[in-house]
Amino acid sequence: MQFALTDVPRILPEILLLVLALLVLGSDVFERWANTDAARTEQHRASASLAALGLGMILIIALIQSGYVYRLPDDAPINFLTNIVRNLQNGGPASELATTPILGAFATDDLTMIGRLVVIAAAFLTVLLTYDARPTANPGEFYTLIIGSTLGMCLMAGSSELIMTFLAIELTSIPLYVLAGYFRNDRQSTEAGMKYFLFGAMSSGILLYGMSLTYGYAATAAVTQGSTGNNLTQFERIRELVAQAGEPTVLLTLGMLFLIAGIGYKVTVVPFHGWSPDVYQGAPTPITAFIATASKVASFILLFRLLTTTFPVLTGAADVIIPVEASTFTGWTSLLALLAFLTLIVGNLAALPQTNAKRLLAYSSIAHAGFLLMGLVAWSASLAMDREAGIASLLYYLVAYTVMNLGVFGVLYVVDQHTRSDEISVLNGLARRNLGLAVLFTIFVFSLAGIPPLSGFFAKFYVFMAAWQAGAEWLVIVGLITTIISLYYYLRLLRAVFIVPPDTDAPIPTPRWMATSLVLSALLVIVLGLFPNIILTIIDNVQAVAGR
Amino acid sequence: MPLISLSPDIPWLSLVWLSMLVPALLITAIPGTQHTLIRWIGTGFAFVSLVLSLLVFFAYDPVQGGFQFVERAAWVPQLGISYYLGVDGINLPMLVLNGFIIFTGALMSWNISERMKEYWVLLLILTTGVYGVFVSLDLFLFFVFYELAVLPMYLLIGVWGSTRREYGAMKLTLFLMAGSAFALIGILAVYFGSGLRTFDMVRLAENVNFSRAYQFAFFPPLFAGFAVLAGMFPFHTWSPTGHVAAPTAVSMLHAGVLMKLGAYGCLRVAIWLMPHGANDWLPVVAVLTVFNVVYGATIAMVQRDAKFMIGYSSVSHMGLVVMALAAATEISITGAVLQMFAHGIMTGLFFAVVGRMVYERTHTRQLPELGGLGRVMPFAAVMFIIAGLSGMGMPGLAGFWAEFTIFIGVWERYPLIAVIAVISIPVTAAYILRAMYRVFYAEAVNPALLNLPPLTWQEISGAVILAAILIAVGIYPTILTEMINQSVVPLVQQLELGGL
Repeated sequence: MQFALTDVPRILPEILLLVLALLVLGSDVFERWANTDAARTEQHRASASLAALGLGMILIIALIQSGYVYRLPDDAPINFLTNIVRNLQNGGPASELATTPILGAFATDDLTMIGRLVVIAAAFLTVLLTYDARPTANPGEFYTLIIGSTLGMCLMAGSSELIMTFLAIELTSIPLYVLAGYFRNDRQSTEAGMKYFLFGAMSSGILLYGMSLTYGYAATAAVTQGSTGNNLTQFERIRELVAQAGEPTVLLTLGMLFLIAGIGYKVTVVPFHGWSPDVYQGAPTPITAFIATASKVASFILLFRLLTTTFPVLTGAADVIIPVEASTFTGWTSLLALLAFLTLIVGNLAALPQTNAKRLLAYSSIAHAGFLLMGLVAWSASLAMDREAGIASLLYYLVAYTVMNLGVFGVLYVVDQHTRSDEISVLNGLARRNLGLAVLFTIFVFSLAGIPPLSGFFAKFYVFMAAWQAGAEWLVIVGLITTIISLYYYLRLLRAVFIVPPDTDAPIPTPRWMATSLVLSALLVIVLGLFPNIILTIIDNVQAVAGR
Repeated sequence: MPLISLSPDIPWLSLVWLSMLVPALLITAIPGTQHTLIRWIGTGFAFVSLVLSLLVFFAYDPVQGGFQFVERAAWVPQLGISYYLGVDGINLPMLVLNGFIIFTGALMSWNISERMKEYWVLLLILTTGVYGVFVSLDLFLFFVFYELAVLPMYLLIGVWGSTRREYGAMKLTLFLMAGSAFALIGILAVYFGSGLRTFDMVRLAENVNFSRAYQFAFFPPLFAGFAVLAGMFPFHTWSPTGHVAAPTAVSMLHAGVLMKLGAYGCLRVAIWLMPHGANDWLPVVAVLTVFNVVYGATIAMVQRDAKFMIGYSSVSHMGLVVMALAAATEISITGAVLQMFAHGIMTGLFFAVVGRMVYERTHTRQLPELGGLGRVMPFAAVMFIIAGLSGMGMPGLAGFWAEFTIFIGVWERYPLIAVIAVISIPVTAAYILRAMYRVFYAEAVNPALLNLPPLTWQEISGAVILAAILIAVGIYPTILTEMINQSVVPLVQQLELGGL
């Protein structure tokens, strides 16, 4: 297996992200030294607009490459334009090349493509949010870190090999540690950065340990079976070796447990969630939005690919309510069902007493991880059709989750810019101070709470359907009950916005580009909710790959 | 033969719910200072929706029966979800009821001036949801509209309400959402249990093939989920608190149509799609509704706050509806649908008189503090008497036919329960007469109440419309019963085939 020239267009979005990151970093050098407010704003906007433009262009290129919006017919006339499109789409998920991962390490299938699109779009919306904000120190570095982290997330989404996985996770996380602690003079931000780093480092250790156990198992199996010792870290290769070895051993199970725990930190699954409320609260708000959405999307896609390609023998069943004895533990879906149960309960209950809006949303985001896990749990279904519903519901949920969270944190950021606080009380009377913003906020919050016809509702509904069909009816009932609990704290946010009178009637302005970002998110929330079939047809493509 | 015929090319039912969504969007684009314009747009479109639903009502062919004005389009084909609308004799009266209540409710909302733009938008969105529920024949679509109808209530009560509004709003929302979550469990059970992978209610009802044990397990969440909104004992406590806290038009919509959504869901979804489960569980339901009917009426007897009294009378009257559904005979279900209509109009009138005409002028609803209003506003007194007589089941008014049919129907299946429930009739008469005496005829306690501003034309016209319907249906009930019965007969037959 060799890297061929035809593989270059397959990783074009990643290459472009790297170029953009360097460009943004380099452009900072050419800005004049800023020591007045006006100059600082100019410097900030220069970097922000370059990053936003670049990300927007990469998003468009990735969209063309994916062929989801427009697929060039085979008999299209040959001219300059169609050549570009054809070359792009030849590297896309629909081409024959996409069936095998590059060097066995980086898959460029539909799953990766959807991951890329979501992650790049999230980065784009985040950057757009920060354009009109108070200038940050060293904006060039700020945006370079965001883009670098985005690159890592794209690699996570496509990674199909253990070492690649680790590198991608680190490439994603290290910039995020720095970004979380970006406000050096703010105690909470510093604490957030430090805490995120320490927890992240520990989770990386756990992940590596799981990888080494899995590798150890694969290598032993290769020796006993007398096959070659090549490519032992590839997901596919490990699966083959496990399948040939017959009964999986405790070693493999242990390796898988550590892998789940390691990624569990990234997706804030209880009991690995402890870091997230502090980090979400302390980090700069747009970074919180970015961490809560994009990094979770990438991690969930990675978790899905890792578990379904590497450990199909250990899939298990999700109808076990609580695996009391070791003998009832039948595989990772049972484990994830249990984790989903804990996550739903803890996330939703812990959100109830919060007084800080960002902290409340951090717990809400933990709770959403529980719903997302239900999509993975559906993999225990016996029919391929139902398993496909599981992955489709997971991906739909990820998309919906991303747009609504970006939106809700975005509104908090706008208010925060004006009031310099993110307590729930600063939202008091927002409806009188800025009705448009209040309406957007209501849309996002209702979507988070799962109210039709917004996309958050369909996401939950679809996940419930998938889990129900996989035999996890008990989990669906838990999910519904916790949804009602969650409604209480979401309504508390709306109570502040609409019912509680404000201290002052001074209007809160919404700067232009922040508003653009929020309106885009809100439109997506509504349109995806009203017409889920648009995105379901795209997601259908994934099933062909994942349904193995 | 129907009175009029409508072109089949026009999607009438979609127009009905769109005629509420369009003004909601329109009003968002108007500056909030244009009070009169917003009021006229809201009321005007409410009238349009009423006219549209009346057109459909008179163009429906009761002899032919079945679902008419059917509209159908694929929505999410991957999951078997479609946009599927249609009306029969059961939901058509509900549609018209909603038309009348929203139009008169809009007239009663002219006094709201604080943050009125938001008020009207929420009110219209709520009505969109109600119309949508009554016309949808797809379970998913039904559920989407159902939630759309419930949620705006939180803000409507929380912002524009009165007594303990935040508590009332939160309690109401959590109760109703809990109900809809349970209903969702049942809906998923129907979807997967049937194996058809479709949310099309008509197809699901025709192919009820899941086992008796399965229905036994999943009928309770499905039925109870909707029964929460119908105010069934012991899930009724949200209803009086919510009614009292809500502004007048919202109380009208809420007691007038929203609670009917619950009863309609019980019938159209739970009983229709799970006949075996219904067979096993309906006796339990019937026993519970006795508490509704009798206990609700006796509690109404001791209330000092007039709105609380009407709230508990709603619990009692809706209990009759659910009791009739539980009896599940041809006569009783006909009576249930008729009672939903009659009670909707009657409560609307009650709230219009007590909440709008009296409370907005006196700023108290405590019965002992009121008195002598009969001399100040004789019109309000007359309206209250008409509503009250209908509530007591006086012949010549709509309520009589409804309650009469219900008691006959229930007697067929549960004679003992019917006998106990009849106790509620004298109690109802007692509390209504007591309130009538207290508010309008007792000696005036507070002389300040003898000098009140006159009624506005909106109040008068709204009340006259509602009273006229009570009388019209009381004199000529066949206009409703014929079409209701036409649709109930096949439904009951199907239930018997399905095991009931």
